[in-house]
Amino acid sequence: MQVNQVHYSTPQFSVLSQDEREMIFKGALEVMERVGGRFFNEEALELFRNSDAQVTEDNLVKIPSWMTIQAINDAPNTITLCSRDGERNVHLGKNQVYFGTGSDCPFIYDRNSGERRRYTCEDVYNAARVVDSLPNLDFFMSLGLASDVPHDETYDRHQFFSMVRGTKKPLVVTAVDKEGLHDLYQMELLLTGSEDEFRLNPRFAVYIEPSSPLAHSNECLEKLLFCAENSIPAIYTPCPSAGATAPASIAGMLIQTLAESLQGLVLSHLKKPGMPFIMGGVVTIMDMKTSNYCYGAPEMSLASAALTDVSKYLDLPMFSTAGCSDARVLDEQAAIEAQISIETAFLSGASLVHDIGYLDSGLNGSLEMLVLCNEIIGMVKHLGKGITVDEDHLAADLIDQVGPGGNFLTTSHTFDHYKNEFFFPKLLDRHNVETWAAQGKNTIVDHVNKSLDQILSTYEPEPLPDGVEKKMKEIIEKADKKMEQKKG
Amino acid sequence: MILKKISQAVIEGDVEGVKEMANQGLEEGITPQQLLDDGVLAGMEVVGERFKNFDMYIPEVLKSARVMHTVMDILRPKLVSSDGGESSSSKGTVVLGTVEGDMHDIGKNLVSLMLEGAGFKVVDIGIDQSPKSFVEAVEKEKPQIVGMSALLTTTAPKIGETVEALKEAGVRDSVKIMAGGAVIDQAFVDENGVDAYGPSATAAMDIAQQFVNEVKQNAS
Ligand code: B1M
Repeated sequence: MQVNQVHYSTPQFSVLSQDEREMIFKGALEVMERVGGRFFNEEALELFRNSDAQVTEDNLVKIPSWMTIQAINDAPNTITLCSRDGERNVHLGKNQVYFGTGSDCPFIYDRNSGERRRYTCEDVYNAARVVDSLPNLDFFMSLGLASDVPHDETYDRHQFFSMVRGTKKPLVVTAVDKEGLHDLYQMELLLTGSEDEFRLNPRFAVYIEPSSPLAHSNECLEKLLFCAENSIPAIYTPCPSAGATAPASIAGMLIQTLAESLQGLVLSHLKKPGMPFIMGGVVTIMDMKTSNYCYGAPEMSLASAALTDVSKYLDLPMFSTAGCSDARVLDEQAAIEAQISIETAFLSGASLVHDIGYLDSGLNGSLEMLVLCNEIIGMVKHLGKGITVDEDHLAADLIDQVGPGGNFLTTSHTFDHYKNEFFFPKLLDRHNVETWAAQGKNTIVDHVNKSLDQILSTYEPEPLPDGVEKKMKEIIEKADKKMEQKKG
Repeated sequence: MILKKISQAVIEGDVEGVKEMANQGLEEGITPQQLLDDGVLAGMEVVGERFKNFDMYIPEVLKSARVMHTVMDILRPKLVSSDGGESSSSKGTVVLGTVEGDMHDIGKNLVSLMLEGAGFKVVDIGIDQSPKSFVEAVEKEKPQIVGMSALLTTTAPKIGETVEALKEAGVRDSVKIMAGGAVIDQAFVDENGVDAYGPSATAAMDIAQQFVNEVKQNAS
C-alpha cells in the first residue's frame, strides 16, 4: 500500500500564482480608492453618499478598500441557475464550467440565400432551439438582436419571448433598461410561479456592462439595482479593449476591469448585502492595424484565464468568453480561434463561458458556429476528464497477458474500458479516404451544415405551458402600446 | 534636404528631433508654408498611405500625428494668411459625435484622431448626443462636415432623425454628412439622407477630403 499520494486526475491549469492574483486584486483596490469611477444614476450616488464612500463632483465615486472587501466576503460563492422546469442544472462556482451563447449580434447569414441580413425573432427562436438540442451548451443568450419589432426600445420583450419559446435551458438575458428588465422578469415569473420560487430557483441571470474605463451608465446601474432589489443574479462584465479603453499591458487591463466589476459589486452590496453577483469581463485587445475589437485573439483567452484565476482567489463566480471569432464566415480561422478560446476557458475553470457562436467580431450570430463549437466543447471536456491512474487502468497484468506481438482488441479489458476512456466525435470525420470520397468528400463545414439542417427541420422544443404564451404577449403588447403613446 | 528629413521624422515618429529640424529649416530660409507642405504633410501622406494598406500600426500613426502637431505649433505663428490674420492651417471643420442613446466611442475617437492627423479641425461633441445637440454644434461651429457614429441597431435611426433636425434648422445644406459604425452600411446611409458611409477611420479621412474638395469646386 502506498502513502502520501497525490492524484490530479484532471489537467492542472493556471496563469497566475497566488501572489500574482493578490497583486491584481490590490491593484484593483488601489484604482477604486485613487481613481474611482463615474456613476450616472441618482439612486446609486445616493447609496454611495450614505455610505463611507466618497462622492465628488462629476459623479465620481471612490470606495475605501474595506468596503470592497466586505462586499466580496458577503457575496455568495455559489449560485444555481435552473431550467424552465426548475431542474437545478447550472451550479456557478469555482472550476465548474458551463458554456452558452452570446447575445445581440446585429447580423446573421440567411440559410437560404447566404445573404448577410439583420436578425429576426425567428432567428432568435431558431438559435434557442439549436442550443436546446445541443448537449454541450448549458445556457442560452439570444445570440442575435431581434430587429423585426414594432419599436427598437422594446425589442428585448420580443427577443425574450422567442428565447423562452425555443429552449428550456437556463438563460442569461439582456434588457434595454430597467423597464425592459422588469417586463422580462414578469414574463419569466409566469413560468417560475412566484418571486420566492425565482429566488430559490432562478431561471436567468442578467447581463450588465459598465463602460470602460471606469464609467457606469444610468441604464446599466438601473438594471444592477433592479437585480439587487429582486435578488436576481447579476453579471457585471466590462468590455475593455487593451490599448484603447484600457492599458495595453494585460495586467493593467485586468486591474482596471476588476475595479469596474467590483465597483458594481459594492453598489449592489449597498442595495442588498450578499445578493447573487457574478464578476466578469470580455478582456481583449484592439487590433492595432485594423482597429478591430478582437474576439479571437490569444490575448483574450490568456487575459480571461488570468481574470478567472483572480475570481477564484476572491471566491466569486466568473463570467468568461470563448467560442467566438473574428473570422467573417465559418472557416478554418473560426475553428482555430474557437478551439483555442474554448480550451483555455474550460481549463481555467470559469463558471459561465459565453459568446459561443459569435463570428465577425460579435457582429454575426452563427447557428453553424454553435454546432461546430458543440463538437469542440465535447473534445475539450474530454481533456477535462483527465485519466484515471490505478492498478486496473495501469493494466500491467493485461499487458503481461497479451504479451509482445499480441493484440488488445479481443480482451474484455478493452470491452470494459473503451467507452469511458474514448471520445466519440459527432462531426469529425475519421472515415478512410475511400469511404470519405464515397460519402461525398464532406468537410467539417459540410457536416456542420447537415447537422444543423437536421436540427432545424426536426427539433421541436417543448411548448410553453397552456395560457402562458397569451399572458406573455399581453405584457409585450402593453410595453409596445406605451411606447407608441410616448412617441405620439 | 531638411524637408526630406522632416518628412522622415514624421514617418518615424521622431517628436524630439523634429523640433530642431523645423527651426533649422526656418533658419535656412525655407518658408513655413513649404516646411508644412513639402515636409510635414508629405510625410503624413506616406503615413496615411501605409496605414490604409495596413502597413503601419495605429500607435505609430498617432505618434506621427504628434510629430506633425509639434511642427505645426512651431510654424503656426509664422503662417500668416493674406488677410493679415493667422492662417488657418486646417482643411476644414468636422463636428463629430456618437448619436443619442449610444455610448460607443472607440470608433468615433479613432475617426477623430485620423481626421486631425489629416489636417482637419475636429469638434468632438462626445457620446449620447441628441439631434438637437448636433444642430447646436453645427450652428456654433459652422463646420463643412458633420460625422455621426452609431453601433446599435436601436440607435442607428437617430442618424436619420439628426439629418431631419438639421433640415428643420435650415442648416442641412451647409454641411456634408457622413456616418459609420458597426451596424451602418451603404443602404442605410442612402435611406437616411446621409451623404457618405464610412466603413473605417481611413475611409472617413478620404471621404472628408472628398467633401472639402467638392465644397471648393462648388465655390469656384
Ligand atoms: C462619422 O463617420 C464615421 C466614419 C466611420 C466610422 C464612424 C463614423 N464610426 C465608426 N466608424 C468606423 O471607423 C471605426 C474605426 O475603423 C470603426 O468603428 P467601430 O466602433 O466599429 O470599431 C471600433 C474601432 C472597435 N469596436 C468597438 O469598440 C466596439 C466593440 C464591441 C464589442 C462593443 C463594445 C466595446 C462596447 N459595448 Co457594445 N460593443 C459592440 C461591439 C462589437 C463590434 N464588433 O462592433 C456592440 C456594438 N455592442 C452591442 C451591444 C448590444 C451593447 N453594447 C453596449 C455597451 C458597450 C460597452 C460600453 C461595454 C463597450 C463600448 C466602450 C466604448 N468606450 O466605446 C450596450 C449599449 C450601451 C449603449 N447605450 O451604447 C449594449 C446594448 C450591451 C448591453 N446589453 O448593455 C452589440 C450591438 C447589437 C446591436 N444589434 O445593435 C455589439 C455588436 C456587441 C454584441 N454582439 O453584443 C468603424 O465602424
